[in-house]
Amino acid sequence: MENTSKTTTQNVDVAALIENTLAMQAVVAPKQAAFEEKRKKREARDGDESKMFRRFKIKDIVFLAIITACTLVTSAIMPLLIHVPVFGIIQLGLGLQFSIFPVIGLMKVRKAGSMTIMGIFIALFLVMMFPPMALIAVCAVVVELLVFAIFRSYKNDWACVMAGTLYMPLTVPLLWFYYNVNYTVTGEENEAVTMFLGATDPWVIVGMTAAIVVLCFVGSVIGMVISRELKKAGVLKK
Amino acid sequence: MTFFRFKTKLYPLIAIASSLFVIIFGLVVARNENLCWYLLGVLVWLCLFGCWKGVLKMLPAFIVFGGAFAGIAYASAGGDFSAALAMLNRFGALFLGVAISMSVSAVRMTRSLSQIHTPRAITLGMLISMSFVPMLKGEIGRVREAMKTRGAGSILNPKILYRAFLVPFVMRLVNISDTLALSVETRGFALGGSLYSIYKKEYPALSDVLFILGIVAGAVSVVVL
Repeated sequence: MENTSKTTTQNVDVAALIENTLAMQAVVAPKQAAFEEKRKKREARDGDESKMFRRFKIKDIVFLAIITACTLVTSAIMPLLIHVPVFGIIQLGLGLQFSIFPVIGLMKVRKAGSMTIMGIFIALFLVMMFPPMALIAVCAVVVELLVFAIFRSYKNDWACVMAGTLYMPLTVPLLWFYYNVNYTVTGEENEAVTMFLGATDPWVIVGMTAAIVVLCFVGSVIGMVISRELKKAGVLKK
Repeated sequence: MTFFRFKTKLYPLIAIASSLFVIIFGLVVARNENLCWYLLGVLVWLCLFGCWKGVLKMLPAFIVFGGAFAGIAYASAGGDFSAALAMLNRFGALFLGVAISMSVSAVRMTRSLSQIHTPRAITLGMLISMSFVPMLKGEIGRVREAMKTRGAGSILNPKILYRAFLVPFVMRLVNISDTLALSVETRGFALGGSLYSIYKKEYPALSDVLFILGIVAGAVSVVVL
């Protein structure tokens, strides 16, 4: 008699549990369906290379970080260059490495924001070497906006080349700002510095800027050629 | 009670803030004659707070490059000693700033940034960039060794540089990046809003506050006196 009542109680409990589970499932099911739909949409968007905005994966961030490390190692001469009072010397000294490596990075990770991420990583280190150059992150954003205004995405190789070509030259105004604030054009030191600098001569500014743009273009093309070769060899997988 | 203890390792965020302060202050006030005394004081302060290794690493570079550029400034200013001193001050501030930031390890920096909820992509990228530099030197050495073994010729020749150095080097980078990404994913790193825990949290101590206060107080005295 006692066993029968126990079994009945257990059956009631199990039935209540099942009912509760079903009720919970009914509540959760729409949310889960919405989540699944969202996930599928996200996967479809990430898979579609023609889309401008795609989510970054771990491997993208890792590759961009490694490319940044390469750029940083090759730009180790920067703390010395900043004290050479010749207009545009920093950009001229770093133009090649700041165009080759970012272009390789962009040709592997063809996603909106790649340049900005590289810019942020580089800025985090450049701030230790020369604080005004940390604004290179802003240059990266400007470059990306320009590229997306013209090419819409990094799908075209020349979009990457354009980004690599404009990245470093955009820091020239920063340098001009630095010369005018730090080497303030007053006092005895300035008389020596003005002769040496060339920052007051518009022809020197135009000439140096043109040289920097040409150097960065050459670097970007080299970066593109290397990436194409690796892609052909099957190394540069997306 | 952990706040009231003297640490030989600086709190990463305070160290970076101090480093930036020294560099920016040094560049802006480079022509002040008292700045050299301030920089000397910072050097002693750094040694007291356990950054002597970074200072020792930076000192030879400062003597060589600072001396050379001060000489150039002296000559170009027509024998003006203050121009040379200003250049020396700029280099001094820069190298001291770098010495402070060198005392911070990549892992501790990442932990501190994670604690203040910096996006995972940034902390991960920073950790990789910082710790990859020594590895990169090894990779460059290996590619050059391979060049020697193959008898590729001089690296100064642009064609050889491209074919025998740049292409294999980038190829190695891509392979390392793929392996590293896999390894990072296997260890449970994920982007986005996924939850994560910090293995060992970093907290500032009284010594960190004392460190930055000393640096700022010195700067104020340079401006005021």
